[in-house]
Amino acid sequence: MAANSLPVTAARTRKPVHWGKLFSRFLLYFALTLGLSFTLLPFLMMILSSFKTNVEVLRVPPTFWPETFTLENYVKIFNDPKLPLLRFYGNSAFVAVFNVVSTLFTSSLIGYMFAKFEFPGKKILFGWFLTMMMIPGQITMIPSYLILAKLHLINSLWGLVIFSAVDAFGIFMLRQFCETLPNELLDAARIDGASEWQIYLRIVLPQLGAPLATLGILGFMQTWNAYLWPMIVLQKIEVRTLPIILTWFNSTHTGQGALVMAATVMIIMPILFVFLFFQRWIVQGFTMTGFK
Amino acid sequence: MDPAGKAQRKSKGGLAIVKRRFVAGVTVPLLLYESLGIFVLGWAFVLIFFDYSSGRLGGPILGLGGSNPFIGLGNFVEMITGTSVEANLFRVSLRNTLIFAVAILPLNLAITLPLAWLLESIGIRFKSLYRTIYFLPVLTSSVGVALIWMSMYDPQAGWINAIIRFFGGTPVSWLSDPRAGFAGVSVAMWAVILAYLWQDYGYNMVIFIAAFQGIPQELKDAALIDGASPWHVFLKITIPLIRPTMLFVCVMTMLSSFQVFDIIQVMTNGDPGNQTQVLMLDIYKNAFRYQNLGWAAAESFVLFLIVMGVTIFQMRVLRTDWEY
Repeated sequence: MAANSLPVTAARTRKPVHWGKLFSRFLLYFALTLGLSFTLLPFLMMILSSFKTNVEVLRVPPTFWPETFTLENYVKIFNDPKLPLLRFYGNSAFVAVFNVVSTLFTSSLIGYMFAKFEFPGKKILFGWFLTMMMIPGQITMIPSYLILAKLHLINSLWGLVIFSAVDAFGIFMLRQFCETLPNELLDAARIDGASEWQIYLRIVLPQLGAPLATLGILGFMQTWNAYLWPMIVLQKIEVRTLPIILTWFNSTHTGQGALVMAATVMIIMPILFVFLFFQRWIVQGFTMTGFK
Repeated sequence: MDPAGKAQRKSKGGLAIVKRRFVAGVTVPLLLYESLGIFVLGWAFVLIFFDYSSGRLGGPILGLGGSNPFIGLGNFVEMITGTSVEANLFRVSLRNTLIFAVAILPLNLAITLPLAWLLESIGIRFKSLYRTIYFLPVLTSSVGVALIWMSMYDPQAGWINAIIRFFGGTPVSWLSDPRAGFAGVSVAMWAVILAYLWQDYGYNMVIFIAAFQGIPQELKDAALIDGASPWHVFLKITIPLIRPTMLFVCVMTMLSSFQVFDIIQVMTNGDPGNQTQVLMLDIYKNAFRYQNLGWAAAESFVLFLIVMGVTIFQMRVLRTDWEY
């Protein structure tokens, strides 16, 4: 950068260094391109394979570009009566939306309460939430399953979402945001006669737009891609969410590689478009929260 | 004047009541919900002391006792000294999980740290484009990732063997050859490690990029003016200053790799010959395929202890107290 502003004579005397710089520049872009290809090529393979015929994907050596470009796989997936894709999108969407709405509501309400109200036992309760944050899901997985079995909620989408309505992490994060809200603002509303619930709904919630958006998108992504817990709870095919459907589809269509790749495209692409759309908040959210 | 003052006093007392009512309105349902959580945790803890199977009727309270007998620390004794199939499989799974986690962390750092550092020296527009692309696999469903890599690992038509053949090598059955190995670890394990790395490394990239951006430029400029090489700046200024980030990244990467499940379950389901059987997979199979829930609960308790131990250890080693 600085070299541009140097006088011509100085640039000439620096010529040997210049070559070294050029070389390191080349190395830089070479390494970055290598990283980029490592990231993108598997996606490219998937998309290209999905347009091949099921015979062509078995060829040795593999073809890069589809020799006979066909939409047959996609047509098959859409018309398969055993694969009502819309239903599975619906299941996944229900679970994700319910999860996001419920955790955003509880996190903001409880976080607000921890930030702005004093009550006996507050410290103990907050400490409990911090502890819950540390306990991984595999510990609670088995008894949670037994409870659902007792309640006859296996194979129910409600059973899937019941244990995730309160998110300790969201509470923790929104408490920190609520602490920055000025008390004068809340007191002014109280003097004007607003009820506590009105203050929460009309004054606190609108201030939390950015953290709620971040938390909501991350929660959506996480629920949409969840695999282990839905696989345990949803055993009947028609109630399953997309990732479990994808494994089931793969195991029932062995030897039809192109078809499976087309199904994979159908299932992972929507979320990637969501990402490109909401990119800023997502990347910000991941780095801000360390949420995974 | 007087009535107004009275009204004010009244509303002040009323305000406290209103506030208390609001707090009660939130905490009471919350406590009810959380008592469910405590119950679940308590149950998880009790289960580890029982030989419990959901297939047997058992005693009156939660099916414990009777045909699901209390065995004290029996599950743990069996894990350490037992010769049963489950005990052996547990030890194999534990070993595989350790191999997996210990391989993932340095490989991940070896990719993400230099790449994120290289991204420092290119323009902002390119940087955000690169960042976007590196992040795509993180958001891809792990089932999708597993299927994509399975097609690339295919012994006949897969791309990886095609490249090996092109250079004159012998193709490998990546996910099913029990005898092939590299550096004492089976190729199937390396194959799932690579797929997992591919999905996971964009996450650490984004975090490192943010951390590098947070380092004041003046510090680096000052060192460069004093004659330090860019490499020295990286080693002596950048790396020490991102220590808190390093701690966070190491803990998170370790935690999630100890709990790996999705990719391995889809790609190999523990095969060939249990060479990729990891703890979560063993827990899942014991609990939901063999109905051996007491044993599975004890296994998850062990996994939990390991995860806690690793976290505390890393916090001790990498902790820093100063800021810049």
